[in-house]
Amino acid sequence: MRREHPGRVHWNPGLDESSLVVGWSMDGGNLGRRTTDYLNRKLDGQEFAEIEPEFFFALGGVAVKDDLARFPESKFSACREHGLVVFRSDFPESEPYGFLNSVLDVAEQHCNTKELYVVGAMVGLGAHTTPRQLFAIASSEEMKEALNQYDLVDDLDYETPPGERPTPNSFLLWAAERRGIPGVSLWVPIPFYLAGMEDVQAQRKVLGFLDERLALKLDFGDLDQEIRAQNDQLARARSAFPQVDDYIGRLESNLRLSDEENGELVKRIESFLSQGG
Amino acid sequence: MGVAFCRRPELEDPVLIASWPGIGNIGVIAVDALRGMLGAEKFAEIEPWDFFYPSRVLISGGILRQLEFPGSRFYFKRTGRKDLILFVGEEQPTDGGRAYAEGKKAYHMANLVLDVAEEFKCGRVYTSGAAVALTHHTMKPAVWAVPNSVRLIPEIREYENTVLMSDMDGGDGQGNITGLNGLLLGVARKRGLDAICLMGEIPVYLQGLPLSYPKASKSVLEVLCGNLDIDVPLAKLDESAEEVERNIEEFYRQIPSQIREQLDRLKYVNQARPAQPGPITDEEKRRIMEDVEAFFKKRGGGG
Repeated sequence: MRREHPGRVHWNPGLDESSLVVGWSMDGGNLGRRTTDYLNRKLDGQEFAEIEPEFFFALGGVAVKDDLARFPESKFSACREHGLVVFRSDFPESEPYGFLNSVLDVAEQHCNTKELYVVGAMVGLGAHTTPRQLFAIASSEEMKEALNQYDLVDDLDYETPPGERPTPNSFLLWAAERRGIPGVSLWVPIPFYLAGMEDVQAQRKVLGFLDERLALKLDFGDLDQEIRAQNDQLARARSAFPQVDDYIGRLESNLRLSDEENGELVKRIESFLSQGG
Repeated sequence: MGVAFCRRPELEDPVLIASWPGIGNIGVIAVDALRGMLGAEKFAEIEPWDFFYPSRVLISGGILRQLEFPGSRFYFKRTGRKDLILFVGEEQPTDGGRAYAEGKKAYHMANLVLDVAEEFKCGRVYTSGAAVALTHHTMKPAVWAVPNSVRLIPEIREYENTVLMSDMDGGDGQGNITGLNGLLLGVARKRGLDAICLMGEIPVYLQGLPLSYPKASKSVLEVLCGNLDIDVPLAKLDESAEEVERNIEEFYRQIPSQIREQLDRLKYVNQARPAQPGPITDEEKRRIMEDVEAFFKKRGGGG
């Protein structure tokens, strides 16, 4: 039944071999968007292909967010000097398997993709002051073996709880492995009160790994400065609001907050950060 | 993309019995219970990835070991008379969060199921589902039957505890069978294949609750097994039916007494036996339905 929906390729980047990095637009802490944007900006990523939305999204009008009309975008960029293909997209509303295969078709047929890296945020109950870990789920023993020299948590055991569904990242990883493209799904825990904003530390963690693994030679000076600025803002929020300080302090001590307190913390932090701290 | 066979059994004049989940999971419980009681063996499966989002991932030691999808599996059982092909769909393929299958995916799945039926030269297809009825949960559920050909009607009239849509009180043979349990009937008709949908009654006030209703599954199986001369211990379904009944009783006690009194009167509604007028008038039935709907609306779901 699967209809072929080849991506629209504007020009061929002419890569003999490539690695594909995938991030989703609606990720927690804006991780997928920020990570893919950063790679494109720093590595001179040139947009070369896209997947048309008509088969995968309802397209019953447009969504409006932050005063702007939004439209599903599924775009490929090539960072040719580094053999890197970056794909950022909204996750499809229908035909997910067809969509994922369209992504892999473009990567494989036009860029000779040999490896997949898919980025995801794991919204958690930790505080922002807790050092971020990077969890890796490999699609094969060989891929896991190839990654054991990096600073990764690579021994995760997990089973989908009843009533829940696997993540799109697992679906993509499985679809890629099925056609012989090994991959890894990368997960960074993001404090829940930054999930609706941006978590620069999480972004730095993922990019640090990709930089090392793919020999990208990125200079993270700008990102490190951004992290310091965000940490300063959060410290100011704690000083300005004793309640926020109390909540975060309790999270730092591995204590749980009530649902009401969680909501209050999110509200305060989002309001403070969006006003420039 | 299609059907993956793990074996191709030799079958004698087989009948296909298919079901997918629906209200009270009546049909799918019936077919799956029959599969278990007969010890039917799996022989094929519809490749799931174009139809379904995965249902479960298993990661161990940091490696994605398995991604599972809802199953759509075929089983067979040789009976010495008419052999059986059983199809159990764990989920209906849907788009955009709808409850029941419709559109291209549903049509495609129905055709794949019937491709297998035709490959094995099935002479008859049965599907099974739920009939939402003005009945009470303490009553034995009747079975509503809908054939896809007029020549099947005389045969259905001989079935025990079974009614046609036109037998309904005030009914004119009209109605809908939602999702694949119904669609398969239509697609079978298009292919010139005889098919009958058997629907076990579920009380109207239970239709929106997240519960199974095995009592009605048993009614369906009694009809199926009687007609196909299958000898299986249907009493095995009683245990789960009793357990569900206890939960229903608990829920029933929480219903305000005024509504409950109305619902109690459903014990006397004989919706499917117009020739025997019950002690409730049409006007009273209408009022019961209005009260029930108002109660569940106020309750914020279900019903």
